Amino acid sequence: MKKQCVAMLLAGGQGSRLYALTQDVAKPCIPFGGKFRIIDFPLSNCANSGIDTVGVLTQYRPLLLNSYIGSGQAWDLDTHDGGVYILPPYQTAGEKGSWFSGTANAIYQNIGFIELFDPDTVLVLSGDHVYKMDYVPMIREHLAHQAACTISVLQVSMQDATRFGIMNVGEDGYICQFEEKPKHPKSDLASMGIYVFDWKKLRRYLIEDEADPASSKDFGKNIIPKMLAAGEKLWPYRFSGYWRDVGTIDSLWDANMDMLSPTLLNLFDESWPIRSGDPICPPHYTGQNARVSHSIVSEGCVIEGEVENSVLSSMACVGPGAHVEYSILMPGAVVEAGARVEYAIIGENAHVAARAHVGAPPDGTDAWGVATCGPGARIAEDACVPPHAMIYAETEETP
Amino acid sequence: MSTLHGIIFAYHAKSELGELVRHRTSASLPFCSRYRLIDLALSSLINAGVRDVGVIMQCDYQSLLDHLGSGKAWDLSRTSGGLHLLPPFGMAGLRTGEYRGSLEALSAMHLYLSEVNAEHIILCRGDLVSNVDLSAAVRRHLSTGADITEVCSAEPPAEENNCFLPDADGFSGRQLCHVHGRSEGVYSLEISVIRKRVLMELIGWARACGKISLHRDAYQHHLQNGGRICLYLHEGYAKRVSSVADYFQVNMDMLLPQNRACIFPAGRPVRTRGRAEVSTYYGEKARSENSLVANGCYIEGELENCILFSGVRVEKGVHLKNCILMQDAVVGQDASLSCVISDKDTVISSGVTLCGSPLLPLVIPKNTRL
Repeated sequence: MKKQCVAMLLAGGQGSRLYALTQDVAKPCIPFGGKFRIIDFPLSNCANSGIDTVGVLTQYRPLLLNSYIGSGQAWDLDTHDGGVYILPPYQTAGEKGSWFSGTANAIYQNIGFIELFDPDTVLVLSGDHVYKMDYVPMIREHLAHQAACTISVLQVSMQDATRFGIMNVGEDGYICQFEEKPKHPKSDLASMGIYVFDWKKLRRYLIEDEADPASSKDFGKNIIPKMLAAGEKLWPYRFSGYWRDVGTIDSLWDANMDMLSPTLLNLFDESWPIRSGDPICPPHYTGQNARVSHSIVSEGCVIEGEVENSVLSSMACVGPGAHVEYSILMPGAVVEAGARVEYAIIGENAHVAARAHVGAPPDGTDAWGVATCGPGARIAEDACVPPHAMIYAETEETP
Repeated sequence: MSTLHGIIFAYHAKSELGELVRHRTSASLPFCSRYRLIDLALSSLINAGVRDVGVIMQCDYQSLLDHLGSGKAWDLSRTSGGLHLLPPFGMAGLRTGEYRGSLEALSAMHLYLSEVNAEHIILCRGDLVSNVDLSAAVRRHLSTGADITEVCSAEPPAEENNCFLPDADGFSGRQLCHVHGRSEGVYSLEISVIRKRVLMELIGWARACGKISLHRDAYQHHLQNGGRICLYLHEGYAKRVSSVADYFQVNMDMLLPQNRACIFPAGRPVRTRGRAEVSTYYGEKARSENSLVANGCYIEGELENCILFSGVRVEKGVHLKNCILMQDAVVGQDASLSCVISDKDTVISSGVTLCGSPLLPLVIPKNTRL
């Protein structure tokens, strides 16, 4: 069936810089902003942009991701002539099959899938970005400028530019140079890792790149530079709005805290709803002596203590006399009576027992950081987890 | 192969519920921040493994249809079986108008029932607030080989009840109908597991004699002819919603943890149609005490003993005490409400003060702008 555009969502990365949080789940499945998981953002953006055919490339720990996406119904993507397709690496006749060795290789291995829809353009997305974006104007600019590839870019400060892939733009407005994390950036246009490709051209470059043994099969490192070198037209699509890469503990914590300022990213906007799988649990309950302020609270939570400047996913519990501030409680996290959680991330179903103390406010030193308890971790009664700690499920902190 | 079939009576709309049932039946009354009353009956049925459910409705069932949809939320959108919506068929020669009793409703559906491929039928009311372990009731029904098993409670679920006087073997041969207040025996929750053959016989008898009430007529007839009714005692919360005060009370009852534990037990989840809302946001000056709040609310004011449905907006300086606010209500700055039930999409302007009482809560009708 002919489609104008097919989206390919890269969701196979491990997210190793999230340590314990991605020990058992892929990064796109990390809970975010209360009831969401990160993958809700690109999936909802696709659905809202009218792109109904989405391939989700999975590789690392896909179990939760597969069951979470299911039929795609939560995002209204379970239509007859489109839908969400989970695309794991697979074996072909006579070959052993292999893992996706890079972002470009993941698309290369699914050329057959994309061909099913004979698309004009392919939209390549990451599963670890938080943003709201209509892809239609981007595709429209791509076509208007007859580009081989259009890259969504965000204006950042010159200091921040050293942390991103930077696009240098020529006088004609097209991209003339791409620099990965330059020490001395020449431009402030950072790549957001969102690409629209002319499918016929991309297909050719993927096949050529696959044959190159020196290539690491990556869009940023290989495909884009090769296209530039060959003189292809690469157009920058300027996006203005909230966009965050949540690949590290600090950026994940920061972006969650951003959700407490609804002006940064309005999730209540009915014209661009971010949808998510709904666990259907009872409403959240705030007890007689509860205090909840400047926080996000999801269904199924039971709050008997104090919650301030925090983000609570569904089924999180805060016991009587417990205090939670500047923290993220992921689904099913429990903070028992009298415990104190500050500047911390408590993973799914992790348990902070009575009177334990996790994290501390910033003290101005470089050693300080957000404390993290991984999914299923158990912090014993009266235990103390210092700032910047990373607790895994199998370890138990004792006093 | 399915040996069980569920029937939910969702046609009731007691006039004592006033404005609350102007656009809906009792079964589709919003309950506990995110549910409709019928979710409890539907969930009890599916949690007992029932995969075929008929919902009998009669008037003002638009809201019920919207809520039930294809039945997907309860896994009842099936290739074979699933959810069957049973509005009045308006067959020639049949009296139309409101069903005067559940037996009359069943009579109207006798063609549907005769084609039901199940040995036993579970009859439930759609306006009962209870999470009944129907699989235990069915086990008792099957192990005793009873024709009829009635789910009862030791506490009266409503002002007026049918009661059964139990014998030593847990069966009953005597029923007291329309008893006000407390009585001897146990109180019927009007949930029955009944052998289909027996039900069809009773419906046949009712059609011949013009009888309309399942308990007062059919079960009484069954008992008078030497039949007996097996009793299954439900322990835990069970109340029927027949008036505005009842409606207010059952919602406020959910603020107590022991009642929530009865309605939302771990092994028998209550399913409902999701509304795909974001999490609730509490502002810097917000306060929420002893309250139940759904997703999608935006709260900058103060709540005390409140039940908030999704999409409610509470602006700065607002004080809400003992209130039930249904979907998408907006309460403007510095308004103060106490014992108020606001229906869907109401807007209460800044500075307004409204007071009801727990015995007579103030109901603000749907779409009102105050």
